[in-house]
Amino acid sequence: MPTLRAWRWLAIPVLVVPVGWLLFTGLGRDPRDIASPLIGEPMPAFAGTSLEGQPLSSAELAGTPLVINFWAGWCLPACADEHPVLLDAAERHVGALQLVGVLYQDTPESARGFLARYGDGGWPTLLDGGGEVAVDYGVTGPPETFFVDADGIVRARHIGPLTQQVMDDQLAALGLAS
Amino acid sequence: MSPVQRLAVPLAAVGLAVLVGLAAFALVQPAAPRTAAEQAHQLAAGLRCPDCEALSVAESRTAAAAAIRAEIDGQLAAGRTPDEVRQSFVGRYGEWILLEPADALAWWLPAVALAAGIAALGAWLLVGRAAPPGAEPPGPVSESDRRRARDEAEALDA
Repeated sequence: MPTLRAWRWLAIPVLVVPVGWLLFTGLGRDPRDIASPLIGEPMPAFAGTSLEGQPLSSAELAGTPLVINFWAGWCLPACADEHPVLLDAAERHVGALQLVGVLYQDTPESARGFLARYGDGGWPTLLDGGGEVAVDYGVTGPPETFFVDADGIVRARHIGPLTQQVMDDQLAALGLAS
Repeated sequence: MSPVQRLAVPLAAVGLAVLVGLAAFALVQPAAPRTAAEQAHQLAAGLRCPDCEALSVAESRTAAAAAIRAEIDGQLAAGRTPDEVRQSFVGRYGEWILLEPADALAWWLPAVALAAGIAALGAWLLVGRAAPPGAEPPGPVSESDRRRARDEAEALDA
């Protein structure tokens, strides 16, 4: 059967091309970079107590662009690495940007120790002892940051420590010039 | 043998492989849960623990896994179906949270690929290894060839 013999040569590209394509596209992807289903959706609501013992809810944060940063005192060096970027953004966009931290699986004492050591920018941090807020945001581990526009819509999620470039790009997308 | 007859064996092998695959798939399907606790455990066993490696929410002791277990209990108590509960987590974490892929294609594609591989191998073994087209079957050895072989053998012995 000459046709079958001819098909045999076709089998090589048929096998090699898809496997090669999978390796070529798959190996270039970051396995931790999972698209958040929350992008384009209203930010999940939260209400609780801040590290300073004050009531803190998502409702009172509406109206200006918001950065929600999940962090922990034990999250080193990643959270310490990104901390200057957060401090800088808070200082540069006073009145135009709100920041809120969410404490991820950590004690208030540990969090206060972190802020005393690396600098307290003055923005509130929500205590999330039960981890419900982290679950509502689909957080896989600190640091993780959500960028929310003035209408309360989640616009981006960044996994891992923020860099100045990521912060500038995301704030520009929210209409804040660097 | 006609080409159809030649393909009969590999096709039968594929059919058998698919049947065995279906039987195995049916056997590994977990039994339906009886109590609410069993239902909650089955849901937790199907969700990936968000902050650990290769553990389900049912197995993990992290705070995130505990929070998800508590929420599963709460949602079931509120009368939501297991599928609704599952979707509520997919809506926050994405399909990544599911330990078993929701897309049926992910279950069928490997089985189809395996069956196609078996069929291709069978076809190759049965048909591809047959004599190449146009090749003359070896005929009776002529007397002159026989004489030449004998002469050359004798020359080697000498």
